[in-house]
Amino acid sequence: MMTRTIKSKSKKILVEMAFIVLIAVVTGIVWNHRLLWNVFNGTIADATTTLPAPASREATMLPAGLMQAKELFDQKEAVFIDAREPSVYALGHIQGAVSLPVAKVDSALQNFMNETPLDAILIVYCSGYGCHDSNNVAEKLQARGYDTIFLFEGGYPEWKNAGFPIEGADS
Amino acid sequence: MRSKVRSKIKNYLILTLRIGLGLVFIYAGILKIRDPIAFAGSVAAYKVLPYFLNYLVAATIPWIEATCGLLLIIGFKTRAAAGITAAMNLFFIVLLASTIMRGLDIDCGCFRQGGEKTSAWIAIMRDIVFLFVALVLFTEENDRKLPNR
Repeated sequence: MMTRTIKSKSKKILVEMAFIVLIAVVTGIVWNHRLLWNVFNGTIADATTTLPAPASREATMLPAGLMQAKELFDQKEAVFIDAREPSVYALGHIQGAVSLPVAKVDSALQNFMNETPLDAILIVYCSGYGCHDSNNVAEKLQARGYDTIFLFEGGYPEWKNAGFPIEGADS
Repeated sequence: MRSKVRSKIKNYLILTLRIGLGLVFIYAGILKIRDPIAFAGSVAAYKVLPYFLNYLVAATIPWIEATCGLLLIIGFKTRAAAGITAAMNLFFIVLLASTIMRGLDIDCGCFRQGGEKTSAWIAIMRDIVFLFVALVLFTEENDRKLPNR
């Protein structure tokens, strides 16, 4: 009798737990449906606004994986651009990366353009998967006429975890 | 008389633990609900899931945390909420241990995203405390209710 009560009790509790989890999961999916849909379609650039791509030029904003980023780094042909906040950049960044924080990109771009030809290979990164800043900076660069822009989605965390060259206060 | 005082103290203690754990989980949940993209980045750093699933987990786990936190605080379906909380913490501990074994030096992403890095060891210690509290709540609720029914 007692065992049966305990058994039915544990069954009841499991059902309750499953129900709570289900409600929370459904709420989460509904709440984030737009983000999830964008991620699913590979367009996480910005969940709310999408800038029209310049029609006159072929848009070449390519995703780059860790090994591709390292290859570009080793060939020394690409300019690495750090889109994170200057304070975070100061703590640590990919060796030789230029700081072009998204908040100050408009004022900093002129200086950058004086030093970097339009046909340079650019590789933009920020704090890893899901951070928007590299995408926003890349769009600005593209709008100014840079043609070959790679987005290194793994960003600084992935680079650092892989033990690749970094520099900064924390390195 | 003495046992009455004792059980009263025990009840207050359980209540404190319940509300405390609830607040922690609501806090953890809301921080991540506000910034699912940053949390997806933290999930991706664990390198266990493919791209899309990182976002799916980031979109849902914080809601489970916040829901359980809310239930613990208001005292509704406390046992079930404590059970889920315990299961989640157990899962987090295993996951964090795996980052140590795999040599990943990442932020645990437990609360605020992208701030000061919390090492896996500290996060594991913290989660063990939460797991213990959740298990206490899970069993205590059971003990109190079973004889009455």
